[in-house]
This record gives sequence, C-alpha cells and structure tokens, in this order.
Amino acid sequence: MGKRREATAFAVGLAAIVVAHWLVMSFYGNPEAPSLPYYTFRTLLRIAATLGLSVAWGLSFGLLASTRRIASIVLIPLVDVLQSVPILGYFPFIILFFISLFHGGEIGVELSAIFLLFTSMAWSIFFGVVGAVKGIPANVAEAARGFGLKGFGYMRHVVLPAIAPALVSGATLAWCDGWFFMIAAEYVVYLGTAYSVPGLGSYLAKAAYVYKDLNLSAMLLALITAMVLYINFLTWHRLMERATGGTYKPILRMGLSGLGKLKLRAAGPRWLRLGNRIHRPKSFILMPKWAKRYTGLERAVAALASFSLALLTIYFAAGRIPSAEAFREAFSDPELLNLPLYIALTLGRLGIAYAISFSIALGMGVLAAENKKFASIFYPIYDVGQAVPILALFPALFLSLSQSLGERLGLEIAAILILILDMIWYMFLNIVGAVKNIPSEVREVGRLFGFKGLKRITHIIVPAILPAIVTGSILSWGTGWNTIIFAEYMPYEAGGPGGRPLALPGLGSYLDRAGYLPPPEGNPIRLLFLLGLMSAIVLAMEGLLWRRLLRKFERYRVEV
Amino acid sequence: MAVIEVKGITKSFQIERSKIKVLEDVSFSVGEEFLCVVGPSGCGKSTLLRIIAGLEGPDSGEVLFRGQPLTAPTPRVTMVFQLFGLLPWKTALENVEVALEAQGIEKGARAEIAKSYLRMVGLEGFENTYPHDLSGGMKQRVGIARALALRPDVLLMDEPFSSLDELTAKALRSLTLEIWADPSLPTNTFIMVSHNVEEAVFMADRVIVMSPRPGRVIGEVRVDIPRPRVRYLRDPMYFKYIDEVVGILERGK
Repeated sequence: MGKRREATAFAVGLAAIVVAHWLVMSFYGNPEAPSLPYYTFRTLLRIAATLGLSVAWGLSFGLLASTRRIASIVLIPLVDVLQSVPILGYFPFIILFFISLFHGGEIGVELSAIFLLFTSMAWSIFFGVVGAVKGIPANVAEAARGFGLKGFGYMRHVVLPAIAPALVSGATLAWCDGWFFMIAAEYVVYLGTAYSVPGLGSYLAKAAYVYKDLNLSAMLLALITAMVLYINFLTWHRLMERATGGTYKPILRMGLSGLGKLKLRAAGPRWLRLGNRIHRPKSFILMPKWAKRYTGLERAVAALASFSLALLTIYFAAGRIPSAEAFREAFSDPELLNLPLYIALTLGRLGIAYAISFSIALGMGVLAAENKKFASIFYPIYDVGQAVPILALFPALFLSLSQSLGERLGLEIAAILILILDMIWYMFLNIVGAVKNIPSEVREVGRLFGFKGLKRITHIIVPAILPAIVTGSILSWGTGWNTIIFAEYMPYEAGGPGGRPLALPGLGSYLDRAGYLPPPEGNPIRLLFLLGLMSAIVLAMEGLLWRRLLRKFERYRVEV
Repeated sequence: MAVIEVKGITKSFQIERSKIKVLEDVSFSVGEEFLCVVGPSGCGKSTLLRIIAGLEGPDSGEVLFRGQPLTAPTPRVTMVFQLFGLLPWKTALENVEVALEAQGIEKGARAEIAKSYLRMVGLEGFENTYPHDLSGGMKQRVGIARALALRPDVLLMDEPFSSLDELTAKALRSLTLEIWADPSLPTNTFIMVSHNVEEAVFMADRVIVMSPRPGRVIGEVRVDIPRPRVRYLRDPMYFKYIDEVVGILERGK
C-alpha cells in the first residue's frame, strides 16, 4: 500500500471514530454517554500498559526459560500450569487483595483489572519467545559461536532478530486477548458490590446489566470492534510485515524468515569485530540477576515457594484463617452433591462448543489448503475475525437472545456461542498456520501420484496438520475453561434491580457464586476447592489426552 | 521417437510485485536415455522438471509425452524429490503403497508390489519404519521405490543426491544406474537435474547445460564413456567431458 493511501486510511479511520464518539456523546440519551471519549482513552491506556508489562515479562522470562536449562525446567512447566489453569477464577481473590491493599481505592480496582488483563495476555508472548529461541537452527547458533559471539552479542545479533517476529505475533495475539478480556476485567460484582474502572468494557457491561439497553450495547460493541480493527490495521499489520519481510508466514516458520530479513549475513563481519572485543560472556540485561546466582535446585525451590506464598497471601487477604470450623462450613453446602452433574454440564457445553469450532476450523482450513481462491477470500476474513473482541459481544448477545428466548435459554445459547467464538480462533490459528506450512514437496507428491478430492484430504492434508490440530485443541480448551467461568454467570440482576445474578447450572457458575456472592453461598475455601478441582480436570485432560496425542503425532511433523 | 519433447518453454514467477523470468524458450527432446540437466543454482532447472512432471504449467510452450501434450501429472512420468517428499505419517511400505493406491490398485496386490520395490532398492526389513527413523539415504531409497512402483516410462529426478553425504550418494548413483539398465523395468528414460558436473558426466548419456536465470539451453555434451563408468573415473576422457561442461557453464555466466 502506498504511503499516501495509508495516510488517507489513517485519517479517515480516525475521523470516523471521532465522529462516532461525538454522535454517541451528544445525541444518545444515557447519563454516561458524555464520558465516552474518556472511557475510550482509559481503556486504550490500560490495555497498552498491560501489553507493555506483558512484553517485558514474556521477553525476560521467555529468554530465561529458553536459554537456561534449570529455568526451563522450572519456568516452562510453571507457566504451562498457570496458562492452563483458568485464571478468571482467581479474580475474586485478586480483587479483594488489591482492594484491601488500597482500602477500596480506585487504584486497587485498576490494578486488579490490569492484573487480570495480564493473565490473559502474557502467555502467548512467553511461549512465542521460547519457541523462537528453541527454533534457532543449530547451524546458525554454531556459526555465531564460531565467530566468537557470546552473551550480549549473541542475544543482540542472533536471539533478538530470531524472536522479533514471534514477539510481534505474540503481542498481536496478546493485544486481541486484551480487548477480549477487557470487559471481564473492567466490571466485577463482588459480594454484591459492583467494582468497575472507567472504560469501554465497564460501560458496555453497565449498558447490558444495569441499563439493559440493547441499542447502546450494540453501538458500543460496534465502536469497540471498529477501534480494534483500526488499531490492528495501523500497527500490527505493518509491524507484522516488517518482521516477516512482507509475507504472511505461519508463526512456526517466522523465526527462520526473520533471521534472513534482519540481515544475518550482513551481520557476519560485524560479529567478527564484536567477537574480538567480547571475551567473557556478559549477562543479558533483561535476565534477572537472582536467576543466575542461584543453583538449579534453589531456583526450583524459590519458584515453588513464591508460588505457594502468593497463594497464601491471597488466602489471608480473603480474611479467613483456615480452621476446622471453616472447612466444615465450606463443605456443608448441600449443592456439593450436584458437583458431578455440574461438571458434566460444563464439560458438555465445552464439548459442544469444541466440536463445532473444530469442524468449522478444519473445514475452513482444508478448503483454504485446497482452493487458492477461497484462501484469498478467507485469510483476510480470518485476520479481521480474530481481532473482534468476542467477550464484549456477550452482554449484547445475551440481551438480544433473552428477549426472544427468555433469560435462561438465552444465557445457555449465548454461553455456547461465546465459547465457540472463543475456541475457534485458536483452532484456526493453528490449522491455517499448518496448512500454509505444508511443504511444497508433500503437496507435489499428492498431485504427482494423482490424489484427488477426499483421498487427498485424508492422506495428505489432514495428517500434515494433525500436530497443529492437537496444539490448537490444547489452546482452545485452555481458553474455553477460562471463558466458561465468565459465560455461565451473569452479574445481571434478573427480574429487575436487586434480583439474583443469573447463573447456568455448571462448575463455572458454582465457582463464580462461591467467589462473588456474600456468605453462605460465597465461601473462599469452597472457591479454592472448586478452582483446584477445575485445574485438576484441565491438567488431567492435558496429561491423559492431549500430551499423548501430541507425542503420537510428533513423528508426523514434516521435516524440511 | 522422442519420449519427451520440451518445446519453447517460458516461465515467470510473480514475487511480490516484480516478475521474475526463470525459463526462457527452453527446447530439447529426450529419447530412451539418461539425460542430465546441469546449471547454476536458481536457473530454473527444478521448475523445468516440475513442468515436465505436469506439476506446473508453462507460460508458453509445451511438453509432449510420446507426441501427446502433457499438462497434468501422469503415472507414466514420476518424480524423485530432492528432499525425498515422503509422507512422515506413513511407514516406508505405506509410502510406496500410497502411490499405488492412488492408481486404484487393490489392497492385497499393493503390499506385494510395494514390498518387491523396497527389496529392489535394498530396504528389506525396513517396511514398517517411519521416515523419521530412516537415514537420508534410506529415505531417498523409499522415494525411488515409490516412483518405480508405478512402472513409469520416465523417471524425473530433482537433485536426488544433493542432500546426501558423498558415500551414500555414490551408492545411490550406482543403484540408479542399475535400475536404469534393468531390462525387467519399463523405465528407460531418466531426466536428472543436478548442479554437480562430475555426477552428471558420470551418469548421463547426454548433458544439457543451462545458463543462469532466466534459464536457457546454452550447450549440450554427449558423453561417450563406456559403461560401467566406475572403471573410467581416473581416465583423462572423464575429465575432458567434465572440463567441456564446466567450460560451457563458465562461458554462460
């Protein structure tokens, strides 16, 4: 795209957003409408700040985990557990912790919102960095070592160029995740009190839950979507182009293409000069010093200790010192008998959503692999689609469905729809990446030996993308477990002001009620127990099902 | 009669916004012989081979197979790939069977045929091994068995030994020549693309030399060394042919 057209697009987009703001501000009869620009500003600032935090964390911990063996032994499993455990469930503790720390002040709510956003944004960057560093070809690493490039020089000339594309794509994902979770982070009803920070997400939540205004919700949703698209278009696409040399390549291969683009060959002579100057390995600035001084065992212990300390702090912040009495109280709830049913219902919802998003993603992926014309239409749609903050759709979706279907059925369908829309992008991302990544020789073999139609799909395309399907499944179930906590429970006052929040029977809503409602329904010990239970289910599924499949399909990975 | 005729092939690729011409008016014909095409990297040799295989269409010109235009892949012209092109999710045997399955050969017969071709390339006992656990040389043996199992008239080889170590490559070159000479096989036309002049002179009846991009035919050398040529590897005749091909390559720069 020419500079001029880009500038025009920039100006027109900005003008459209400003006009939209002005229209809502001046003509929509809602008491909060005039604050809309301020809300936009706050949300932008919040997500940007969290993105900065996530990049700093992901980069430093990712580098640490990928370059230090011991750190990788501790960190990678730890982050793996953290990202597969539904973080949204910890939110009651987090919000209570920050609120009591700042005596109910706005800073406390703000910090807890940022913390929640962080837990939804940081993982993709971390794993992107780890993957890219591990993906540096051995010959490049050896060549660098051969030129005497060590420590900081190695980081600067080999590692950083290699991770740049992964960092950009990880940050893109994080940015989208941020918009996705913003609505959950900005508006929380805890023990009957609504805690919200000024922002688009909280305004949208209020429009649906407090004002029950479908027009306003739909308008805000459209505005948020337009803004996300606009910002993505402006920043990420250009960054992505810069990082991958103008071609859109699947993330798996980006590490390699990035190396060439950032002029590795031209860097050779510079390496030599640097190599003469650098005699001792220098520590990389971003690497925390403590991680270098400790021995491996100490570091493992430190990580474990800090983890349990954090849990303990949260626990004490919840104001309960565990006593036998408290435990008896926590487990005396007659609803606990329904737990197997709740688990089955929640698994059922996730299963339905997974099956649907899996079939759609696979169908689209295969079509894109088989048909260039379809791919050229589908890829841009896919690019746009993954930028839409779907969780923000939830209130509007629920409001419109509940008007025709009733509140309960409306929530049921809205929850499954949200789960599908949430899970499908991870499947897409992996399947589409893998489809684009099928080596040309494998495609040619299929054509040369006359595979057509279904045979070609079952013999060539599907096996080639199986590992990606498993990875996508792990990710989409991970995000699904997180989202279901949000989707089974509405901080909406059913039947008018002061009504009980609407909840679907399920593990997610049971957990929400234990976290957000006043006692006896709310109970921190029961909340911890349910969270542990949910995490155990997530980890069991991963260990018993996904890891096994991943190992099985590992040999399917096409070596290029 | 020529088995394959390449007539005035021109091909360009669109890369980002610039059009890159890789082949320009390439013509030659091949009979029942071993033909090598040599040229510098990027001269379009592999593209040429893919056009002959029917995997890609030329911008202009055509490929005739026994007088008929060849526009789509056919089992009578098969290919051996530089990076083997094996399906990692299938065992050695299944990789050969897959080619037969696509031709509609029934299940029972498939395994027998596939086994016999794996035996021919010296892979007896490795039928149930996945490519992941095979060495590079063994992978290429599977690739050759797969291509031969269709009993093609023409075997195309795209730098088949360039990703192997020299000893393995040597063994596979001999194997390829044995297969070419095998009277029980219908495959008597071999077209091999290579950038290794020694290899080309060692194997080919005729060497076609191509210029740097855009690739054009700039020379042709008929190699009249008696076979088996292993006996002549120290012979001045062998080096004379090498020098001749290298000379054409140098002039074409």
